[in-house]
Amino acid sequence: MPYTVSTSGMDDVNRMLKALGDDAGKVASAALYEGAGIMADAIQRGAESIATAPFKYASGGQTRLPSPEEKDIVTGKRRVGIAKFKTDGMDVDTSVGYGRSGYAMLAGRKVAVPLIANSINSGTTFMKKQPFFRKAASTGGKRATDAIRASIEKNLQEIIDKNGG
Amino acid sequence: MPTEYTQLVTAMKSLTQGTPPGTVITLPMAENEWNTRPDTESYGIISLDFEQDQMNGDDRKLVASYEGSVDLYSRGKSGSGWVEKIRNTLEDHCGACWSLNSHTYERETGLFHWEWTFEVM
Repeated sequence: MPYTVSTSGMDDVNRMLKALGDDAGKVASAALYEGAGIMADAIQRGAESIATAPFKYASGGQTRLPSPEEKDIVTGKRRVGIAKFKTDGMDVDTSVGYGRSGYAMLAGRKVAVPLIANSINSGTTFMKKQPFFRKAASTGGKRATDAIRASIEKNLQEIIDKNGG
Repeated sequence: MPTEYTQLVTAMKSLTQGTPPGTVITLPMAENEWNTRPDTESYGIISLDFEQDQMNGDDRKLVASYEGSVDLYSRGKSGSGWVEKIRNTLEDHCGACWSLNSHTYERETGLFHWEWTFEVM
């Protein structure tokens, strides 16, 4: 019984790879930037939905909600950040979050922003857990992946069209 | 509430261990509670946090998966024996659906904090 092997698909891939050339890193970076933006927005929106209550020391075995000042630290400008892209050939890597958000002043004391974010996200013996970050990472991840895929497909098509298909 | 979750809560609430021999200690496990700081060596909290994903069909929600978390607070550096018990319970109820999300030390209270997340249908 004869077997037919179709190579039309491979031709397309070959043409695409040739056309791509040195632009691979650029296409990947552009796509990753879109995805990272979506993640950052999701985290920021999550942080803005944190419930607060005026500061009161937790007592009687009860946990407390973060104070509005603590929420401001987490939602403030330049808090949720996108790390500088690391490029290695066709691989591009970054991280989104509070990693480099530095310090803030709270009631006259210097506090680390990631520490406050983590205490709200994971909860402590005295802080009620509100997993805003985990939720953003969990539910925003799919949207970010879709955006990355869409961006790569769009840019690849443009390059192919530019190089005469 | 998803059945898998209610079953997990029941299992977590009945965790016991017999050290020292001859005694039976139950881990105080609260569900979604505010008042969760009993004056004990170790205690836990379990909660269902949010809907993680869903599958729709015929304009209806067919399946939904939820993410929840189990927290263990303990004065013991290695969790006074509860870490292993919680991990085993998670394993029994949802296989490989769980992971250790964070392990921190609270300087103010001197308690160690483990946080596991899990996914149930």
